[in-house]
Amino acid sequence: MPRLLATAALFLSMSSCSENLDSSGVCKVLCPQVGGDVQNITLEGAVALDTSVLSFSGLGTEPRLLLAARGDTLDTRAVIRFDSLPKTYNTAGDSIKSVDSAYIQLQIDTLSIKGTGPVTIEAYDVDTTANDTSSDAILALFRPDRFISSQSFTREQLTDTLKYFIDNNAVLSRIQSGGPLRIGLRATGPSFQMHIFSSEGPQGPILSFRAVPDTLTPRVTVVPFSKTPTDDRILSAVLVDYTVVAKAPPPAPASVLGVGGFPARRVYVRFDIPDSLIDSSNVVRATLLLNQLANPALDPTDTVRLVAQVVLAGKAVTDPTKAAQISIGVSPDTLLVKPGDAGERSVELARAFTLWRLQKADTLPRAIVIQSLTEGASPLEIRFSSSEDVAALRPRLRISYTSRVPLGLP
Amino acid sequence: MRNLFVVATTSLVCASVAGAQGALSLQGLGYPSGGMSARAEGTGGGLADFDALSLTSPAAIAGVGTASLFFQYSPEFRKVTTSSGTANTTTARFPLIAGVLPMGQSWTLGLSSSTFLDRSTETSLTRLETVGGTTDTVTVTEQNRVLGAINDVRLALAWSNSPKFRIGVGGHVFSGSNRITFSDLFPDSSKYISTSQTSNLSYAGFAASVGVEVHPSRVLGFSVAARKGGDLRAESGDTTVATARLPDHYSASVMFEGIPGAAISARVAHDSWSSLSSLSTSGIQAFDGWDIGAGIEASGPRLMQRIVTLRAGARTRTLPFGFNGEKVKENTFAAGLGFPLTRDRASFEFAAQRASRKAADVNERGFILSFGLRVSP
Repeated sequence: MPRLLATAALFLSMSSCSENLDSSGVCKVLCPQVGGDVQNITLEGAVALDTSVLSFSGLGTEPRLLLAARGDTLDTRAVIRFDSLPKTYNTAGDSIKSVDSAYIQLQIDTLSIKGTGPVTIEAYDVDTTANDTSSDAILALFRPDRFISSQSFTREQLTDTLKYFIDNNAVLSRIQSGGPLRIGLRATGPSFQMHIFSSEGPQGPILSFRAVPDTLTPRVTVVPFSKTPTDDRILSAVLVDYTVVAKAPPPAPASVLGVGGFPARRVYVRFDIPDSLIDSSNVVRATLLLNQLANPALDPTDTVRLVAQVVLAGKAVTDPTKAAQISIGVSPDTLLVKPGDAGERSVELARAFTLWRLQKADTLPRAIVIQSLTEGASPLEIRFSSSEDVAALRPRLRISYTSRVPLGLP
Repeated sequence: MRNLFVVATTSLVCASVAGAQGALSLQGLGYPSGGMSARAEGTGGGLADFDALSLTSPAAIAGVGTASLFFQYSPEFRKVTTSSGTANTTTARFPLIAGVLPMGQSWTLGLSSSTFLDRSTETSLTRLETVGGTTDTVTVTEQNRVLGAINDVRLALAWSNSPKFRIGVGGHVFSGSNRITFSDLFPDSSKYISTSQTSNLSYAGFAASVGVEVHPSRVLGFSVAARKGGDLRAESGDTTVATARLPDHYSASVMFEGIPGAAISARVAHDSWSSLSSLSTSGIQAFDGWDIGAGIEASGPRLMQRIVTLRAGARTRTLPFGFNGEKVKENTFAAGLGFPLTRDRASFEFAAQRASRKAADVNERGFILSFGLRVSP
């Protein structure tokens, strides 16, 4: 009996060790609401500055190259640099004396293809000593005397992996001369557009050829490489492949905010928010209300994902264009919009407030940038009314907050 | 912009400061566990003023006999029933630890700590809120967690030159803290930010007590005790948030030992809980109340050549803090046993209490198990 009692006591003691204090089941009657109701307020004049600025990320950093030929609306080309070609093709050091079945292997985003008809892709020699970032100099080289080859594809032939065959002699001559092989691709046809994955990702273009006709000998493969500009290794690294814009829809006028497009732009918005709101209350939601303006110039029903980022540039950076390049994403949430749509759009900014609470406005200006997730790779531009528009259409900041609860005594 | 400041300031001032209690017994500053040992609890509190290990009378420590250490664990299994639902909770309490040391023939020193008011609770409440546009309605979950208690640490000194008379005095330090965590949880983290606030509230106060125990005959004993409360401060950091007077406490007890092997006892006590009202910022009312209990302790069967002591009792009292302006009454039935261990150098004390509390349309039932271990080194 004593052992039984002791065992029972021990069991009861052990079983009661885990606390469960949750009385939620009776809260409707016994628990008064502690927190205050959410207050919603729309600040009409909270936007101190809004403007469209160019994105510095542009040339060469795009994850996908855009090859487009859409008549008078859009004409973009892709440049791929093979500045370092091998002289030998095996470990024995045998020199390359011939080139057979040379092609550039391109990885295509087939979902991005626009146009149902066949397309012809022409290749040009775009090697030049002109400024590396000069689009005009490159575009001028798409002329008959620089023509290398062309290849036509039906829509069905445009699969994930595309082999674009180029003139063997063009490759051989560069190998023998030691010069760079810089290929400019241009699409021709009634209306065509597709994205090619660039070397910024793992599926970049590759040059492949046979150094001897023997099929048992492995093919020679060359990855894109750029030797210029010699004084800027970062720029030369991204210029291994890039998109050159020959023609694009005009950007939004200065009085309108534009996101995306060619050249890529962002919207910079700086707010004037009372410190008391940030410091003394709990902001649970903050929304930038923008009035979207229809932009039917190109693919008005395509979807563009916009993302808001917090500007980290301090007050010392007074130029919005420069400040807009120093930013950080604070939320994975994106805003889906179509260029042709119009009306009110909401950009969620609550997470920016958690960052702003940590630092005073003197240190960290209350500024954000809105950019496209396909910045530099998509020609689509989303337009919004700016502060220069009529009052009802201007950007506004809506803040929802709760007051701090003086916790402590019951 | 000026309107914004007005809105923000107004809402700050008007924000509710009430705590979410979630049980009748946890209203206000919490539940008074009573400062009684498992032995006294087993008799409905009737024996408390004669029990050396309880904190109710400092005179009682003179009857301890040998130096003793005592530790008690008392989980409470509680069920609260309202018209909208029920809640089952388990609260683990360590309400009493005591050490008593006889010094010479007449003097006895005691140091003990007991839970004075236990506020541990956790609640969550959901509500619909419009957050953003007029059509953006979301469910907000408000979570409130309070942990901690005010404890009563007593240093007592008692004198007795015969079994007929004992007198004792005690100095009390009331200290402790409440850690409060309040959260507003929103469903979609990409749109909304859930918020959380924490606060630490500490308490400090002093009181003094005196007790007298008289046994005019071998079968009859009387005891009276009183505790005079001093100031109790509630502080947040270095700032005093509020002050109040610790409640005065008076009790009188009688014990009859005319039946061989049995002791029948009864106790009546009064607590001036209303002196704590100023520690409530939301107007939770504290009520003065009576605490009345009676019980019997009797020698039971022998187990392993040891006599098991059996106890039973009943108790009724008013809890300190009301609900909706109404007093919360607690009625308790208790039973217990004591079992000597290791040649009476230790003993195991056990009590089971069935407490029912009621106020307005809320019913609460608590099942409190108390496990005490007394060791005489």
